[in-house]
Amino acid sequence: MSAASTPRRRPLLSSRRLATIASHAYIWLCLILFVLPFLALLSQSLGQRGGASGLGNYAAVFGSFGDNLFWSFKITGLTLLIDLAACLPAAYALVRYPVPGKRLLFSLLQLPLYVPGAVIGLSLLLTYTFVYKIDSMWGLVLAMAVGSFPLMMTPIVVAMKDLPVMFEEASECLGATKWQTYRRIVFPLIGPGVSAGLLLCFIIVFNEYLVTLFVHPPALETAPLKVFNLVRTNGLAPTTAALAVTMQLISFLAVIVFFRIFGTRHFKGTYIL
Amino acid sequence: MTTVHLSNVTKHYGSTVAVQDFNLEVADGEFVTLLGPSGCGKTTTLRMLAGLVEPTGGRILFDDQEVTWLAPRARNIGFVFQAPALFPHMSVADNIGFGLSVKGRDKAFIRQRVDEMLDLVDLEGYGKRLPAQLSGGQQQRVALARVLATDPRVLLFDEPLSALDKNLRDTLKYSILELQRKTRKTAIYVTHDQSEAFAISDRIVVMNAGRIEQIGTQTDIYLKPRTPFVAEFIGANNGLNGTVVAVDGSGDDAVVRVDTGGLLLRRRGRTRLTPGQAVLAYIRPEDLSVLEDGDGRVHLNTIEGTIDRLIFEGASAQLRVEVAGVEMRADISGGQRLALVQREGRVRLGFDDVTLIPSEAEAGTAVVTDGVPDEAGPAA
Ligand SMILES: Nc1ncnc2c1ncn2[C@@H]1O[C@H](COP(=O)(O)OP(=O)(O)OP(=O)(O)O)[C@@H](O)[C@H]1O
Ligand SMILES: [Mg+2]
Repeated sequence: MSAASTPRRRPLLSSRRLATIASHAYIWLCLILFVLPFLALLSQSLGQRGGASGLGNYAAVFGSFGDNLFWSFKITGLTLLIDLAACLPAAYALVRYPVPGKRLLFSLLQLPLYVPGAVIGLSLLLTYTFVYKIDSMWGLVLAMAVGSFPLMMTPIVVAMKDLPVMFEEASECLGATKWQTYRRIVFPLIGPGVSAGLLLCFIIVFNEYLVTLFVHPPALETAPLKVFNLVRTNGLAPTTAALAVTMQLISFLAVIVFFRIFGTRHFKGTYIL
Repeated sequence: MTTVHLSNVTKHYGSTVAVQDFNLEVADGEFVTLLGPSGCGKTTTLRMLAGLVEPTGGRILFDDQEVTWLAPRARNIGFVFQAPALFPHMSVADNIGFGLSVKGRDKAFIRQRVDEMLDLVDLEGYGKRLPAQLSGGQQQRVALARVLATDPRVLLFDEPLSALDKNLRDTLKYSILELQRKTRKTAIYVTHDQSEAFAISDRIVVMNAGRIEQIGTQTDIYLKPRTPFVAEFIGANNGLNGTVVAVDGSGDDAVVRVDTGGLLLRRRGRTRLTPGQAVLAYIRPEDLSVLEDGDGRVHLNTIEGTIDRLIFEGASAQLRVEVAGVEMRADISGGQRLALVQREGRVRLGFDDVTLIPSEAEAGTAVVTDGVPDEAGPAA
């Protein structure tokens, strides 16, 4: 038998190829649009103004701005701890127990997400000065916790809801206490939700300046507040840009680290990943 | 050494009655199966035994200890779920050792026990794997090992094989039985699959709508069903409504005559029935045989009907015969089933055994029940 038909030539631009090219172009367009401001900031940070230049600007970040970065880390760390301490039990109770008005409660807890930072800051400022007279960093930490905990709560609640109760039952039937069950079964299995919450909260709290503006004690200036204040008074000096770039890099690094830790090794083969 | 005792155990969910007045004694080392259609309360009963559901009323005792209100962890039970429920983030070995590790046993002991258990379920060398790297059947075996590692007093199974394919189910049900025999544990097993229940149980509890219909061995519930539900749910059956016409003789030779509105049936044996009483008469399809002309066999009952159709099933054949306006099923095996393939028209059927169950139902209706097919999932 002879197959006499001529081989069909593949068109140079099939519709599939066109679609591929278009989607790649779209991805690159998005990337450029998003990265462009960062690149502008980066070039500004390497610029020259009054003595220091280039990488010298970054020396200033860890020199004179070191304190601001330190405060940022400290405030963020404490806020994350408070968020976790509040959200882990709350999410468990909300999902596992028949709390009356569950839906409404959950919606109410989301409220801080929809309230502008300035409003939160202002109302907390009023509360603190007139009721508690808190004048330490704890006022700021609490303000941050109030504003950010829905970001921690939501992914944990979702992870809890996705976790079949069967695992907890199996654990208890094997003789584990509630606490052992939580620590060894529930917590690892909602890990991806917890890590997502930590990541979101870290990024938001670390870069937050609006709430800080209202409730920070006079002696305390976080890195984002410093950037804000400097830009307001001096315009964008290269050293200020360098601080801003550093903060960007820290946030970016946080994302990478979280995905490294929680995205692969520990949770491979788990229910969620 | 553990006996299990349930007395008047009841569970209501609002107005839903899940389990009502459940009474059962399970002897030490006995394998008891709860069998019943979907939604009859099997799982609820088992979960009350485990402490995962609090009863609305009644008492549960393990030996002499009342456990009705104890938390699951205080009961020392082994619960095998429908899904293996292995902790996905732990290795097979850690899963099996979990129950010992939460009780604070030392590492060396746990390691040794884990190896023993892996050996017991034929999974040597699988300890380091994650559950996701095992097949469904292997996972269920690990679940079994995990439960046995803690040396529980009572084993509880909630349809542990229903998620597996048929071949695996067949082999695994005997592994479960073998392990139970080897470890001499008291076991309570839930299934809706009759063949599974028949294959592995010492005794079977037939449940319906939250209540116990009958407790007995395989032969008890098959040959001597006490309620219409059991007669119709277990195996295939021909059911006829009738009225007792007369009881002739007495003792083991008594003959009850029943009029089913077209057929007169006789049953020999001791009876408490009295004339005029409404009964349900059940004839097993395999008890019916086709009588050839000149057949020497003598039967207590002979009926005549028209062949409706023959369903050839290989090893046996189902003969559907219309008798006095009622369709009856006869299961024919052996050479006769081949002879019947071409047969049409009238046929004579003979049988001796009739099960009579008193009923309050109206006479004149009839049912053929084919039992629940083994392959059926929880019926809709
Ligand atoms: N948590 C619950 N809330 C309300 N009703 C329930 C609950 N659990 C079970 N029921 C009801 O109790 C009854 C018995 O349920 P159960 O799960 O014990 O049945 P089952 O015999 O195990 O059925 P299946 O073979 O389908 O597993 C059903 O009518 C069910 O709807
Ligand atoms: Mg069930």
